[in-house]
Amino acid sequence: MALPLEQLLKLPPEEMLKHNEKPTVEQLRTQQQRYYEDVTEGMELPKYIYGPMTPTHIFRWSAAIENWHRIHYDLAFATHHDRLPSILVQGSWKQSIIPSYLKDWVRPNGWFWKASFQHRAMLVPGDILIVWGRVIKKYVKEGMGFVDLEIGMKNQDGIESMPGTATVVLPLRGGKPIPYPFIPPKE
Amino acid sequence: MTQASLESVLTPEVKAMIGVKGEIVECWGTVDEEYLRRFIQAIMDPDPLYWDEEYARASRYGERITPPIMVSYLPNRLPPGEEDPVTRAFRENPMSDGIGGVRQRGGLPPIPTKLVRILNAGNDIEVYKFPSIGDKIRYQSMYKDIQAHIGRDGTPFLTVVTETRYWNQKGELLCITRAATIRR
Repeated sequence: MALPLEQLLKLPPEEMLKHNEKPTVEQLRTQQQRYYEDVTEGMELPKYIYGPMTPTHIFRWSAAIENWHRIHYDLAFATHHDRLPSILVQGSWKQSIIPSYLKDWVRPNGWFWKASFQHRAMLVPGDILIVWGRVIKKYVKEGMGFVDLEIGMKNQDGIESMPGTATVVLPLRGGKPIPYPFIPPKE
Repeated sequence: MTQASLESVLTPEVKAMIGVKGEIVECWGTVDEEYLRRFIQAIMDPDPLYWDEEYARASRYGERITPPIMVSYLPNRLPPGEEDPVTRAFRENPMSDGIGGVRQRGGLPPIPTKLVRILNAGNDIEVYKFPSIGDKIRYQSMYKDIQAHIGRDGTPFLTVVTETRYWNQKGELLCITRAATIRR
């Protein structure tokens, strides 16, 4: 049974890791479609837990996308020149986790449409990161089920580093398929 | 005092950058296997839709997919043979932060400001289609908005919102990203 976010955040970091709901490859392969009718306002999405983050995780991302900003790998530059607490987890990495997270929730036939978020708290090596989401509103447009979400990424101390919102699209039970490529509804 | 501080950073030259578009640029190379592998390992997403041909073929997509905004980092990939932008950035500024002076091909002209520290403030993402392996990516950026603010310490700073649209070789819109950066 999944722990609500509030309870998860009360656990010591080593206990938090035991409640990671990130699916395995096999679970992804066999995931059954979640339909619009299955969703209720206030319901929580699974919590994905990453970390503890290390300089190597952070550098791996910089290398993968060829982002040479020194605050992500040059500790002396980050702390002495930019007076940061350490090297920082990249906003671009955090940004890239969200489509991955929401793609999983709507699979196999739903669609992650859009997200908007701010970068607030700095995340540093040693942090455990909890990606979370909660349904705030649902509505039907043009035969598709739209679900607005509150999303974020908290650290082990419960500090929110990227408060935001997102919208995903789920099929209605017995309804039409979600178009691919996705065509948004007319306003 | 506050108004004067705001105007000291949001100068007419800076304001004039709002709405400025870059050229449409074709990214070097294609969406390729190795870039995909490194990307999905770095975001720790083991989705078989990315790598299991048979599974992906049976999905609604009919082929392997790639992460929807992976293409938004392809502009970082500079063609070999051009002057090394990292060397150039440090030649121009030995204390370069490694990003501010590392210009991208066809990127937007720099904001004419002395505020050189850049921090990521937030992002918007809109996703329409998963890029496919082999796609040729084109993009175009524009300065969507620039605003001045006063920090807690009384220092003025700028927020700059850059919007970029990405298409594949068929002209299909893949995604739109908006990045808000703070210039201090």
